[in-house]
Amino acid sequence: MNTADCLIELGTEELPPRSLKTLSQSFAELTRRALEDCGLTPSSVQVFATPRRLAMLLRDVPTRQSDRLVEKRGPALAVAFDAEGKPSKAALGFAKSCGVSFDALTQKATDKGSWLYFEKSEAGLGLRQILPGVVSTALTRLPIPKRMRWGTRSDEFVRPVKWLLMMIGSEPVDAEILGVRGGAVSYGHRFHAPGEISITRATDYESLLRTKGWVVADFDLRKSIIRGLVEENADKLGGIVQIEEPLLDEVTALVEYPVAVCGAFDEEFLDIPQEALVMTMQDNQKYFAVFDQAGKLMPHFIAIANIDSRHPEVVVAGNERVIRPRFSDAGFFYRQDQKQPLAKLLPRLDAVVFQEQLGSLGDKTRRITGLAIYIASRLGADEDQVGRAAELCKCDLMTGMVGEFPKLQGVMGRYYARHDHEPEQVSNAIEQHYWPRFAGDELPQSDVAQCLALADRLDSLIGIFAIGEKPSGVKDPFALRRSALAVVRILIEKSLPLDLGDLCARARQGLAHKIDASSVETEVIDYIFGRLRTYYQEQKINFDIVDAVVVDKPPELRDCDRKIQALNQFQSNTAALALAAANKRIVNILKKQKLDPSAAVNPSRFELAAEKQLFEQLNTLRARVEPMFDEGQYLQGLNELAGLRPAVDQFFDEVMVMVDDESLKNNRLALLQQLFRCFRQVADFSRIQSK
Amino acid sequence: MSDQAADDVSTFQDIIRTLQNYWSEQGCVIMQPLDMEVGAGTFHPATFLRAIGPEPWRTAYVQPSRRPSDGRYGDNPNRLQHYFQFQVLIKPSPDDFQNLYLGSLEQMGFDTLVHDVRFVEDNWEAPTLGAWGLGWEVWLNGMEVSQFTYFQQVGGVECNPVSGEITYGIERLAMYIQGVDSIYDLIWTRGPQGIVTYGDIYHQNEVEQSSYNFELADSAELFHWFDVCEQQGQNLIDKKLPLPAYEQVIKASHTFNLLDARHAISVTERQRFILRVRTLSRGVARAYLESRKALGFPLLAPEARS
Repeated sequence: MNTADCLIELGTEELPPRSLKTLSQSFAELTRRALEDCGLTPSSVQVFATPRRLAMLLRDVPTRQSDRLVEKRGPALAVAFDAEGKPSKAALGFAKSCGVSFDALTQKATDKGSWLYFEKSEAGLGLRQILPGVVSTALTRLPIPKRMRWGTRSDEFVRPVKWLLMMIGSEPVDAEILGVRGGAVSYGHRFHAPGEISITRATDYESLLRTKGWVVADFDLRKSIIRGLVEENADKLGGIVQIEEPLLDEVTALVEYPVAVCGAFDEEFLDIPQEALVMTMQDNQKYFAVFDQAGKLMPHFIAIANIDSRHPEVVVAGNERVIRPRFSDAGFFYRQDQKQPLAKLLPRLDAVVFQEQLGSLGDKTRRITGLAIYIASRLGADEDQVGRAAELCKCDLMTGMVGEFPKLQGVMGRYYARHDHEPEQVSNAIEQHYWPRFAGDELPQSDVAQCLALADRLDSLIGIFAIGEKPSGVKDPFALRRSALAVVRILIEKSLPLDLGDLCARARQGLAHKIDASSVETEVIDYIFGRLRTYYQEQKINFDIVDAVVVDKPPELRDCDRKIQALNQFQSNTAALALAAANKRIVNILKKQKLDPSAAVNPSRFELAAEKQLFEQLNTLRARVEPMFDEGQYLQGLNELAGLRPAVDQFFDEVMVMVDDESLKNNRLALLQQLFRCFRQVADFSRIQSK
Repeated sequence: MSDQAADDVSTFQDIIRTLQNYWSEQGCVIMQPLDMEVGAGTFHPATFLRAIGPEPWRTAYVQPSRRPSDGRYGDNPNRLQHYFQFQVLIKPSPDDFQNLYLGSLEQMGFDTLVHDVRFVEDNWEAPTLGAWGLGWEVWLNGMEVSQFTYFQQVGGVECNPVSGEITYGIERLAMYIQGVDSIYDLIWTRGPQGIVTYGDIYHQNEVEQSSYNFELADSAELFHWFDVCEQQGQNLIDKKLPLPAYEQVIKASHTFNLLDARHAISVTERQRFILRVRTLSRGVARAYLESRKALGFPLLAPEARS
C-alpha cells in the first residue's frame, strides 16, 4: 500500500484566541476521522495553530482506497431459467439492470438457497479525489459559536479565509474551499515575512515556516517558548510569575512569533490594591504580573509581543503608556472610595434593583442580615460580627472601584472595611461570602463568613425559584447551580450542624413580605439535594449510592455525607451486595402488602428456627449499632450489620413468607420490615445497583 | 504597504487630514459629520443606513461623538463625554481590508516592523441598533487604537453583502503620536499665536457639559422627549419616511444616554428602553431597504440591478 504525508493549512484573518486550540484540534480530529471512514487512516496527526492559520500534518496516509468487490443478488436460480433451460425474463432483466449480458452473471449457493449474482470489482478512489470533500466537510462541522460572512460570499467561517494549502507528499491538491484555491503556498508572519512561502514537501512545513516565515506553527511549542521567556525575564527581575494556564493559552493564541517585552510602572501605584493592578494587567492587557519572593507585586510586567522590533524600546514604552492611565484611574477611584466609610454606602443600596419582585440590594442586605444572624445563633458564632459583616457585605458594589472592576466585588469590601477599622473577621467575611467563586475554589474560612455565604445563597435560591426563574437546561442566569453547590460544599466540608429544611424555611420567611415562596421551598431543597450527584461524581461515588441516602433527605447535609461515604466504603464488604439484594427483595414483597408500618413482631408466632434466629440476631445487633448510628459512625454500624447475612440468607432459603395464615404472614412481614428499617437508618439499600 | 512617505501627523488636525486623504484615495466618499448628537460614528446614516441592502458603498468621515456618562468635568486626562471618531465603511468588505487599514497606520508613520500591531478578537454589538458584527480591536503596542468589524446584521436586517467598518479613536492615536499623558495637552494645531491645544478648544465644554449631564438635565422632560421621539419615529416609519424616522431613533438614543447619565433608569427598566429603541431601529431598517428597492437600488451597477 502506497502512503504519503499530507499537509492541510487554512490561512485566515486573526482567529479568536480563546477558541483557537479547540478549533485546530477539532479540525484535525474531524479530518482524521473522515479519512479513517474512507479507509485512509493516517499513522499520526500533528496539529498546528496560530492566530492566522489552522493546519495539520497527516502522516502515512494511504494514497488510494483498496478495490472493493461489489456484489448484487439477482433472482433465485429456480426462476432464472425457463422450461427449456434458457434465461428467464427475470434473469435477463437483472443482467440488463447490471449493464452486462447474462453470461457475465455468476451463480452462488448459500445455505438459504441459490441465486444469480452479479459481481464486480470497484476501484478505490485516490486520496487526491477524497481529500477536498473531507476537508470542506470538516470545516463546516467545526464547533464555532458565532460564524460570520464577509464580502459578497454567502458561506460562513470563524473569520475571513485567505488561503488554502493542501499537499500530498510534494504535490499540491487542486480544490476550492471557502472561496480560496488550494496550492502549495503558505504565508509567513504578517510583518516579518508577508510574502509567499513555497512548501516543497508536506513534512518541511513546520521548519520552513520557522526559518523563512517567522512563525512557530506548533501551539504547544510556542506555548513552552513563551513560558520560558516569561520565567527567564521574571528571573532577571528577581521576581516570580504565577503563570495561569488560561492566560498563557490566550497569549499563545495571540502571537506567531513570541518576543518578551519587560515593562515597568511607577512604584506609587503599588499603594493600590494589587488585585486591581493584576486584573488590569492580565485581563485587559494580557501581561504577566511579577511578584517578589514574599508574594508582593513588583512594579514590573512581562508582555509577549508578536514582533522582533527594530526598536524594542518603542514597544516597551508603548506598553508602559497603556497601563499608566488605567492604573491612575484605579488609584483615583481607590482614593475617592476611601473618603467615606463603607457603612455610609448602605442607604444607597436601596436605590439599586436586585430583582424587580425581590426588591433592592438594600432589601436583600436586610434579608441576608436576618438569616445570617439566625445561622450564627445555631452555630454559636459571634452574632454581632455576623450582623455587621452582613450589613456591609454588598456596600462595595456602590464604590467606584467595583464599578470599574466588577470582579473585585468583595475584595474591595475587605480593603475598605479594614481601612475603616472594622474587625478583621468582619473585613474577611465581606470578601469570603462570595466564596467558592468557581469549581474547586476555597471555602469561606471563618464561621462569620460561612453564615454570610449561606444566607446570601439561600436567599437567592428561594427568591429566584419563587419568581419562576429556576435554572432549566443550560439557562441559569442567576447562577443558582453554583449557589446550590456552594451551599452543599460549605455545609458538608465545614461540617456544619445545620438543618437544611430549617434554613430554607427561614429564608422563605425572610422573603415573605416580597413574595410567597412556600410552594417552592421543597423544590429548592430537592434542587440542592440534586447537586449532590454532581458533587459526589467528582469523588467517583456512583449515583445509586448517593440516591440511596438522599431518598430520605437527611436534615443535615454533613450527616448525609457521612452516610454516603460510609455506604460507599461498605461496598467493599463481601456481604454488601447480598444485603442489597435482600433489601430489594423485601421492598418488592412489602410493596404489594398493606402492612401497618408500625407492625410489631410477635416472637411467639415464630414457627421456624430461621425466623427466630434472624429476629434474635437483628435485635442483638440493633442494640449494638444504634448507638453507633446515633454517633454518625455509619460504616462501623454497617460492618456489624453485615453479620446478619447468613441469617438473612437462611431465612429466605427456608421461610415461606406469603403463607395463607394471615397472622403468620403478617408476623413474617413485620420481621422483614424491621430488618429493612434497620438498614434504612443509613440508606435505602434496595436502591443500590449490583455491579 | 504604502509607497508614499509618511505624512506629518504632529497635530490633531494633521491626523484627520491624513486619514481623510488616505481613505479618499481608496475611493471613499468623504462625508461631513452628522449634525446631531450620536454616541459613535456608526450612528451616522452613511454607516447605519448605507450598510443595509445590496448597494456598494465606501465612505470615510470624522464624527464628533457624545457619551454623557463618560464626562469627568475635565478632570480626567483620559475620558471625555465629547470626543472624535474617524469612521470608515466599505461595502462589500474588500479582501485586503486589513492591509488597507495597516496602510493607513503606515501613512501616519507607524512602521509595522517597529510597532507591535495586532488584531485582537472583539465582537461588536449595538443593542439599540439591532446590530452586531465580528472583528477585532487593533492593538498598537498593547493600546487599542481602532475597532475593526464585519457587520453581520444591522437594524435586524442580515447584511448582504457584508460591510467592513473601521473606527479610529483619534484622541488615542494623537496622544500616542504626540507622547502626551492628557487629552487636553494635545496639540490641535500651531497657529500664528502659537500652539492651540485640545484643552483650549474643549476643556470648558467638558466642564459645563458634565454639569448638565450629571446634575441639570431635566429627567422628567427627557422621559417625555423620549416618548415623543419614539412616537414620531413610529409615525414616520408608517409613512414610509425612513430618513426622518431614523433621526428620531438617533434622538431617542441620545435621550436615553442622558437619562442613563442621570441614573434615572433602573437596571431592569434599562433593558426595556433599549428594546424600545431597537424596535424603532428595526422598523427604520426595513423601511429603508424597501425605499431603496422602490428606487431600484440606484447605486448598484446597472448589470447587477436586474
